[in-house]
Amino acid sequence: MRKETKHDLPIHIILLLLGILTFYPFVFTIVTSFKDNFQFIHNFWGVTWPIHLSNYKDAWSRISRYILNSGIVTTSSVFGVLLVASVSAFTFARFDFPGKDLLFFAILSLLMIPGILTLVPSFLLVKRLGLLNTYWALILPYISGGQVFAIFILRSFIASLPEELFESARVDGASTLQTFFSIAIPLSKPILVTVAIMNILGTWNDYVWPLVTIPDGRLWTITVGIVSFSSQYSGLEMWGPMFAGYVIASIPLIVLFFFTMRYFIAGLTSGALKA
Amino acid sequence: MYRRESKTVWQEIIKRKQCYILLLPTFLLLLTFNYYPAISAIYHSLFDWDGANFIRYIGLGNFTNMFQDPTIPLSFLNTLKLTIASLIINLTFPLLAAVLIFHLKDMKYAYFYRVLFVIPMVVPGMVVFMIWRFIYNPTSGLLNQLLISMGLSQLTRPWLGDFDLALYAVIFVGFPWVAGTSTLIYLAGLQAIPIEILDAVSIDGASTWTRFWKIELPLIAAQIKLIVILTLIGAIQGFVNIMVMTNGGPGETTMVPGLYLYRNAMYYNKMGYACAIGTFLFLIILILTYINFKYLKSSVEYQA
Repeated sequence: MRKETKHDLPIHIILLLLGILTFYPFVFTIVTSFKDNFQFIHNFWGVTWPIHLSNYKDAWSRISRYILNSGIVTTSSVFGVLLVASVSAFTFARFDFPGKDLLFFAILSLLMIPGILTLVPSFLLVKRLGLLNTYWALILPYISGGQVFAIFILRSFIASLPEELFESARVDGASTLQTFFSIAIPLSKPILVTVAIMNILGTWNDYVWPLVTIPDGRLWTITVGIVSFSSQYSGLEMWGPMFAGYVIASIPLIVLFFFTMRYFIAGLTSGALKA
Repeated sequence: MYRRESKTVWQEIIKRKQCYILLLPTFLLLLTFNYYPAISAIYHSLFDWDGANFIRYIGLGNFTNMFQDPTIPLSFLNTLKLTIASLIINLTFPLLAAVLIFHLKDMKYAYFYRVLFVIPMVVPGMVVFMIWRFIYNPTSGLLNQLLISMGLSQLTRPWLGDFDLALYAVIFVGFPWVAGTSTLIYLAGLQAIPIEILDAVSIDGASTWTRFWKIELPLIAAQIKLIVILTLIGAIQGFVNIMVMTNGGPGETTMVPGLYLYRNAMYYNKMGYACAIGTFLFLIILILTYINFKYLKSSVEYQA
């Protein structure tokens, strides 16, 4: 046993080295977020005292609006995806109807369409619908695009639920809608959380689509906001508040991560399969 | 006969109308926001179009223009470099990390490292880009400060503004590249290897090296191919990294097709041309996916 642990030592050394290299920029970001400019210039590498919490106040006043916007857009989109996708996935999984395979294939084939192809016509469409500079310009396309992979995942999960459950509910006089809400949804909870996390990550991190559809700075999402914020602050050499802004921008997803770690890893892995 | 059959299908459709009603929201959204833009992009790639009133059919004119546009070969060459670099990166560092984690005998540590390498993925990608933009900052950046403190100040330079190095600076973003989905995918593949196989190997007394090359690597071939195709698709159409790090500069040295498409659409109002670039990228991705799919299928048959 002892020999085995010893044998693992080189592995630990390499992994820890990789870990340090990965984390150093983030540690530097956090340390610098508490510095004023004097401390930044005269003690670039070290931790300095006193810490300047005012950096956070300053950054928060600039980016809280973007976080709120991202929060509104992400929450609405994710609930939209879950609702629309679970209804369709349920229909595909538990019923037979003419054209079912064709319709399902029509949805799946969209996984082959890269975002770069549809960027320009989607923008022109949203513009023509008069949705530019509204949350809808983001929410509706996010629901539409997000549901594709969600239907794919949810359908196979709901199809794997035992038919007896649905059968006995129907015998008891439950309607389709009732079997959906009282059986399919509660039993699919873990996979719904995974799908939700996948979509939260995608929506929260998206940059190009909000950039083209939201010219109005007041409605910017966090990704677009943080780029403009960075250029402003690095131009003014206000490094402390700039890094404080990065920390604040990272907090919502990190909090989410610690509450849903297990689903998060599943969501990240299956999120990769999506592309 | 035909009439009777079509009548029963029709009756069946009426009987099942509830199903179609349930699918209606999905398809209304998809028709509007997914199918229509995709078809519109391919259709409008054949037009000289400003996105509004001016529209003129020019056949394959946009595509022939692409071959005469000096920015196109330049941007595709950059994408080729970025794609190759991205492939090399994704096939080495994350694989190393995953295999090392997998080889740990104590599961507690394996779990610890997995979580450790997941946490950075939670930081928004844009924040990571911004931090790297600071790392490369010519005056106050981490990299130049590091070089100065090591007495190598002659090596300092404006990394992202350097004509020869800017593209490589963008490639280097995210070093050591282990905190990504690739690591998780490799690890999932490794953990799916049946325990009997690994036990048999360790009884045979195979070295770690043999175990990796002869057993583990062939058994995660599916994961490797998945990462290859994901990396290809991401590298060919992606341009956010370039956009926020260098915006194609200095000059046009780091221009990529995705960013050039964006510029043509948003700055020059050349919507038709932008659609043509998008269609071209779509075709490349389609062909590469098809090749990868064929390759994947044949190798599975080979295994069986």
